[in-house]
Amino acid sequence: MAILKFAGVKKGFGDTEILKDISFEIEEGKFYTILGPSGSGKTTILRLIAGFDQPDGGAIYFDGKQINDLPANKRQVNTVFQDYALFPNLNVFENVAFGLRLQRMKKRAIQLRAQEALALVHLGGYAHRELDELSGGQQQRVAIARAIANRPKVLLLDEALSALDHKLRKEMQTELRQLQRQLGITFIFVTHDQEEALAMSDQIMIINEGYIEQSGTPVDIYDEPLNHFVADFIGESNIIPATMVKDFVVEINGKQFTCVDAGITPGEAVEVVLRPEDLDITTVESGKLAATVDSQLFRGVDYQIMVHDRDGHEWKINSIHKTTVGKEIGITFDPEDIHVMRKGESQAAFNARLASYQEVDHDQA
Amino acid sequence: MKKFFSLGRLFLALVFFLMYLPIFYLIYYSFSSGSRMDGFKHFSLVHYQTLFADTRMISIVLNTLIIALLAALISTIIGTSGALAINRAKRSRRQLLVLNNILMVSPDVIIGASFLIFFTFLGVQLGFWSVLLSHIAFCIPIVVLMVLPQVRTMPRSLTDAAYDLGASRWQAFSQVTIPAIAPGIRAGFFMALTYSLDDFAVTFFVTGNGFSTLAVEIYSRARQGIDLEINALSTVMFLVSLVLVFIYSRFSVKGKGAAVK
Repeated sequence: MAILKFAGVKKGFGDTEILKDISFEIEEGKFYTILGPSGSGKTTILRLIAGFDQPDGGAIYFDGKQINDLPANKRQVNTVFQDYALFPNLNVFENVAFGLRLQRMKKRAIQLRAQEALALVHLGGYAHRELDELSGGQQQRVAIARAIANRPKVLLLDEALSALDHKLRKEMQTELRQLQRQLGITFIFVTHDQEEALAMSDQIMIINEGYIEQSGTPVDIYDEPLNHFVADFIGESNIIPATMVKDFVVEINGKQFTCVDAGITPGEAVEVVLRPEDLDITTVESGKLAATVDSQLFRGVDYQIMVHDRDGHEWKINSIHKTTVGKEIGITFDPEDIHVMRKGESQAAFNARLASYQEVDHDQA
Repeated sequence: MKKFFSLGRLFLALVFFLMYLPIFYLIYYSFSSGSRMDGFKHFSLVHYQTLFADTRMISIVLNTLIIALLAALISTIIGTSGALAINRAKRSRRQLLVLNNILMVSPDVIIGASFLIFFTFLGVQLGFWSVLLSHIAFCIPIVVLMVLPQVRTMPRSLTDAAYDLGASRWQAFSQVTIPAIAPGIRAGFFMALTYSLDDFAVTFFVTGNGFSTLAVEIYSRARQGIDLEINALSTVMFLVSLVLVFIYSRFSVKGKGAAVK
């Protein structure tokens, strides 16, 4: 059941329209990520859910009830802020207990709940510390504890990890994921970091310029980006203009390749995405394309290799094997590595097309 | 190891010596048994005795303190609301600040004279109320100036977080906003207190009807030749302000410690 629903939501500030037409449904108990570049409107969505701002158009439903004008203090939603927004005059325990005190709970119950929330973020022994005795990571945890102490149905996290260093961020990603499973409540996480989004989420929503570009599981979005923006924003990619010849055949730079996409009008101009890690380096003879290595960059886990083929097109290849600059190589890839994108195809149309030919596949088998 | 007698230290010592010299000179003679400051006779507390027996002086000291406390309290309330309002006014913020600062920099004499004209025009009797009202008026801009930076640096997410956790507007204001800007409010209150305590020019214009404050009283007595009772009073005041400064610094250090993220 959808716990939260946006229906055609619009929001602007002054003359600028931030959200143009946002519709989505959020299910209970999942980890959602709203991903987008800065200024795309992702934080605005969060503020609308929290109730800090009201939409200009459309409707927001929570548990089936319209909540457009319900004030923030009446919503069963809590937020972890980007700057933590901890109350500087209160210590750790009092920060966590702030929301509980407002509910006029019994002293004993407050004590228990706050301790429980602190234990969940591994700060059990820190209740009576002052905030300035904590590190950035610990303050982050206090902010999370404060938000979950109220037992919200939906927890909102606004770029919650962006102030932490790389290693701590990785740890917190795992912990947040665990925490979400433990609590079983919906998390909505806002970030501009695609790696973070892929690692943590059940569902990702990609926002750009006030529209949802694509939503789906991390694997769907990575393997089947809907358009140029998504392909470029998520992961690294080679995006090449191409022409569809017929079902399962695409022509790239004048050469025809087998692919796994169908249902596209023959002769239609499309774009293909080839992920750099799907491209393999081989000998010139056994390669599908022949190319010359231009540069090689060691990145720890792999090498990023830039090559240009005989027609002068550039390719980006990620490989764990090293090569030599200036060397002639062959590039090879499998039909499934090619992902064809139609221009301006909507998510619904894409899913319908996918369903149509995957059924055909099924019948043949 | 740093050199003890560096040029910088020497200069600093000289500056402090020159600044405190007149005060210590005053204090020194307050213990003299003579009646003039042209030679220390011998140690005595006679001037303190006359001071504490001088009921007129004691009542003036009390008046001054009451005026200062009331003016500081009321102007802190008004000034803090003003700072919050100015911060919220997006478009007219600059203009409002300019209006505020004009009051800060304009000479006391002008403010005092204009209050005198204003009060006589309205037919307000000069005395306690006219002094209190004018003190409140000239303290407000000071409070605004002290509180505003604190309001500005307070992240908006702090009040959002309060609403998010279920606070009503009043709860968010009283439990989050006020504590967050408390260091500014405290500084504003103490500044207003000291401004009101020392004010001479404005008070001189608007006082009357037998009502007087310390600054005005000392001025009028000094014109008839310095009396060592004034020295005794100054010594007492100096000690009181020393204690006040000490309390204030304890307070603000604590406030700052808590405000650090």
